[in-house]
Amino acid sequence: MAAPAASPMLLFTDIDEPGLCTLEVYERRGGYESLRKALAMTPEEVLDQLKASGLRGRGGAGFAMGTKVSFLPKGSMDKYLVCNADESEPGTFKDRELMQKTPHMLIEGIVIASYAAGANCSFIYIRGEYVEQADALDAALHEAREAGYVGEDILGSGHSLSLVVHRGAGAYICGEETGLLDSLEGKRGNPRLKPPFPANQGLYQGPTLINNVETLSTVPAIIRISGEEYAKLGVETSTGTKLVSVSGHVQRPGNYEIELGIPSREIIYGLAGGPPEGRKVKCWFPGGSSSPVLTADDLDIPYDFNSLAAAKSMLGSGAVIVVDDSTPILDVALKVAKFYRHESCGKCTPCREGTNWTVKMLERIASGEATPMDLEIMASVQEHIIGNCLCVLGDAMAMPIGSMIAKFRDEFEEHIEAARMARGLNGSAGSDAALAAQGAFDEAPETHLAHHGTGDQAPGAHEGAPGTHRGGA
Amino acid sequence: MPRPESKMINFTIDGREVSAPEGAMLVDAAKHGDVEIPVFCYEPKLGQPVGACRMCLVEIEGIPKLQTGCSTPVRDGMVVYTETERVKVAQQSVVEFLLINHPLDCPVCDKGGECPLQDITFGWGGGISRFIEPKRHFVKPLELSPLIAIDRERCILCYRCVRFSQEISEDYQLVLLERGAHSYVSTFDGHPYVAPFSGNIVELCPVGALTSRPYRFRARPWDIEGAGSVCTLCPAQCNVTITVRDERALRVLARQNDEVDDGWLCDKGRFAYQSFHAEERITEPLIRDGGQLRPVTWERALEQAAGALKRAGANAAAIAGGQSTGEEGHLLARLMREGLGSPHLDSRRAGTLSLDAHRALGAPALQANVSDLEFAHAVLVLDTDPVNDASILDLRLRKGIRRRGLKLAVASPGPSSLDPSAALSIRFKPGAGAAFAAALSAALGASAELETLCGEAGVESAAVRELAELLRGPEPQQGADSELQPREVVILWGERLTAAPNAELGAGALLGIAEALDLANVEGAGMLEVPATANGRGLREAGVLPNAGPGLSQLQDAGRDSAAIAEGLAAGELSALYLLQCDPLRELADRALWERALAGASTVIAHASFLTDAINEHADVVFPAEAYPEKEGTLVHPDGRLQRLRPAIARPGSVRAGWHVIAELALRLGLDFDVLSGAMASRQLFEAVPFYSGLTLEEIGGRGVRWQEREAAAAFPAPASAPSGDGSFEEPADPGEAAGYRSVWDAPEVEHSPAFDFLFKTKELV
Repeated sequence: MAAPAASPMLLFTDIDEPGLCTLEVYERRGGYESLRKALAMTPEEVLDQLKASGLRGRGGAGFAMGTKVSFLPKGSMDKYLVCNADESEPGTFKDRELMQKTPHMLIEGIVIASYAAGANCSFIYIRGEYVEQADALDAALHEAREAGYVGEDILGSGHSLSLVVHRGAGAYICGEETGLLDSLEGKRGNPRLKPPFPANQGLYQGPTLINNVETLSTVPAIIRISGEEYAKLGVETSTGTKLVSVSGHVQRPGNYEIELGIPSREIIYGLAGGPPEGRKVKCWFPGGSSSPVLTADDLDIPYDFNSLAAAKSMLGSGAVIVVDDSTPILDVALKVAKFYRHESCGKCTPCREGTNWTVKMLERIASGEATPMDLEIMASVQEHIIGNCLCVLGDAMAMPIGSMIAKFRDEFEEHIEAARMARGLNGSAGSDAALAAQGAFDEAPETHLAHHGTGDQAPGAHEGAPGTHRGGA
Repeated sequence: MPRPESKMINFTIDGREVSAPEGAMLVDAAKHGDVEIPVFCYEPKLGQPVGACRMCLVEIEGIPKLQTGCSTPVRDGMVVYTETERVKVAQQSVVEFLLINHPLDCPVCDKGGECPLQDITFGWGGGISRFIEPKRHFVKPLELSPLIAIDRERCILCYRCVRFSQEISEDYQLVLLERGAHSYVSTFDGHPYVAPFSGNIVELCPVGALTSRPYRFRARPWDIEGAGSVCTLCPAQCNVTITVRDERALRVLARQNDEVDDGWLCDKGRFAYQSFHAEERITEPLIRDGGQLRPVTWERALEQAAGALKRAGANAAAIAGGQSTGEEGHLLARLMREGLGSPHLDSRRAGTLSLDAHRALGAPALQANVSDLEFAHAVLVLDTDPVNDASILDLRLRKGIRRRGLKLAVASPGPSSLDPSAALSIRFKPGAGAAFAAALSAALGASAELETLCGEAGVESAAVRELAELLRGPEPQQGADSELQPREVVILWGERLTAAPNAELGAGALLGIAEALDLANVEGAGMLEVPATANGRGLREAGVLPNAGPGLSQLQDAGRDSAAIAEGLAAGELSALYLLQCDPLRELADRALWERALAGASTVIAHASFLTDAINEHADVVFPAEAYPEKEGTLVHPDGRLQRLRPAIARPGSVRAGWHVIAELALRLGLDFDVLSGAMASRQLFEAVPFYSGLTLEEIGGRGVRWQEREAAAAFPAPASAPSGDGSFEEPADPGEAAGYRSVWDAPEVEHSPAFDFLFKTKELV
């Protein structure tokens, strides 16, 4: 493929500059100039810039950031700004690089956004596994405090902001904004019912602005070049540049900054080099493992929010996961479903039971105990999950699994047949039920009281049975 | 604080126009149109909805996704559908999801037959399951506590029990452990869930996951009947439904009355019912014969008692315990005053309080009610510990703090369970409640005596000033809204504040506080006394006092109070003693004096349920007393609410109604009460007390009536002169004794209920 297109760079301009994580280098590269510029404006003017930029949230939902800020009620109450750095979506690793290499850009973005939102108290909720990144943030925060960019009366503007880096304990659900708030308050990280939305009643019941690391890191660039200029990048409803994390079967996996609206093929083949020689793209997740999969036919779809939504998928967190034709779709489905079963918080019924049921059905397919009718049930279970849950975690499993069943039904059916053959079940009608029951008895009663790990095991007896397609690559 | 007001709005549900209160959740609003939306996790008593079970999904016009009816407030003009195909599919799928891991062991499950999961599955489920995988398994059933069993396989993770523990009782013990399909309810480290209100989770559980261990496998729902009554085991007088099978009480459930208990019940009220059928219960009359109490006929027992009382005449005395009804008290007072000419009669534990003080403190304008505790701006808990004195009020105060922004101050001699929730906690010297109240009164009135009184109460004057400021509230700001809300303050005070020897000082101080805070004139403000005994207020109003007749009327000659009765008996000045459901050694102050008094009495007649030490050693005649589910009569709640006791179970053995026994005795003393039924006894009481005038049992009904809210309240006697409280503080001889303190949990009903054995046998368990 052609060499990578020359994208305008806003976030990754100096990303490989040695020592960018230090204040000295960051300032030499023009760091904190945007903050000075913003503090010279009124908060309303800063907010107008954010609105004019058309910046949409980079965490997954794609909600316009300026609008979100403007939802915060006016008044003198305590307002909070929370940066969501609980980057847990499989395939997503863009925030990791930003925080590790250019933490000051995030801090600068937080201070500017807090100024626009009138928040005086802010937190960065970072997942526990990001030890190195949290250390980098802590070090940068220390420098920023010393330099007066964070704290009381920042740069003599009268704006004060406290900033705390809070390390989570590592749960996907704590990346859901209300689960994050509960966790930050010291409670079990479970999503809350919305409304009330965090903008009205968030952290400690106060108005709270929650934004992703990348969103906040983009703010200094917007102030630097102005919202109008930023809006000229990308396409109409998806302005600006976006970091994409490309992983899976590609030759050059990694983070790339792209201008929104370029063809998806450009990302997968152009930037990431496409799948290894001789293999073809079978399917790809355009926005993390929770986005419905697209196929090789969809590679020319422009990579922006609306075009992907029109293709019944989503841009999500911008994590492109490529699966080539060497991997059975069942393995992909099982991997995804198991992840979401493990991460389901258990609060609402469809997600808690639906993810668990889906995994059990997929495992039955893998072990050759399923019939094509089970695909019907599985598809209908996904439909029953979608839109009926408390938060979007249930949908995050049901949408990709549902899309896989819809788009790769033939392969699932072939797999079912092949696995049944391998167990010698085909043609011996009537014994299915007996063997299924046998399967049930093979599994020792799970006792979850001692340790939750036991429940995560597939019916061990069938794992790696001869003739199954597991781990085919 | 303003009470929630409901404005009616109109909305459309399933094509019908329905009017409902604005802001009500759709689930509740739908009921106004006879539409039921199924729920599992929604329970308004638990506070904000959580939307976890997803059972209540409905379609609302203009909103693309299905919405949870439990968390969507109804708005004017809203168009809601609960029976469309989309909604049906969603409801069926939630039922299917819930059942895939539910064991469906309904035939052996205690909940079967009264199980919301069964009902909803039947009403809204799909009828079949497509789930053929192995179900989730847990070890079962387990003891969650000595009172509650947990079957985790049946649990549908609705969060109700956890929310109760975290947000209502605030014991913070129950949590959800693990995640996703492996989640389960437990205490953090598996220790038993023992807490004063733990039993409520059994009632909250919408499936058979949490069951009462004393009730497990005792009955099926089609074997039982429910009978409404009122628990008389403490002054809180919670409304209850008694589950009856074959004339036995098998279970006690809360009967929601928001003006009394908010639908909660403490564990004593819930599990002490076993004592009604305990082996140790006295079920026939006994007479001391050859040093031993032996069963006799009623005829013989009544003759013997009547003879002894007649001999004693004006030297007889009587004490009524807190579980007696107003009717029993009233008849007892008539027996003593009219039949024997003896004025020696008491129902208070704490010594005499002047009639004027009784009248001033009981004035209708000054009385707060239970919901005032929740909506007040500030509440002072003064010399009482709700969880130990009137348990359910503890939950009401927590609710006020959590949901209404109530500021709580606690002033007590010992630590209180409310301390962690209180804005201010003050400890004073044991027995110095009256001095403390006087100090507070002085602080509110800017009196110079503050320092002296603080010294006597053993508190810092700064703390008392801080408390005064908290009660007064912030100074109204200049230029603020002209319509300033008057500050609603409620003083919740314990009867021991007016205990001897400082009764008048305590009463005067309370009135001083009320005056300074204008409690009588502010709507929603006032005072609420926690009497020392369950029906303490009712017995006083019925005239079971040494210095007041029915309706706190003036008497010709005052008699002796309980302490003076004891002294009189010990000194041989009095000879016979009638104990109506009262054990002086357990319940009254100065045990040593009472030992001498009982030994000195020539005849002790006891109306009792259990042979406690005092009865066993000293009673000469014992009449078996009814337990409350057997009784008919009325009680008065501390806030003036008359409540009805109705017989729910049969009286065991040859037990007779209390009013009947007293009337029979009177007959033998030549006095015909003309009482042939419980209702007649009630009518006499209502006629005797001027401010009950015109009351009927029908009017009291199942929810009770506050007499202050009736016209007849105007007949409440005004004090001739209110006590000033200028008296000086007298150091009580033994502060612990003066306080006369006993927790309501320390009761024969608790001791004789096998369910509570664990409280007494901890050593054996180790």
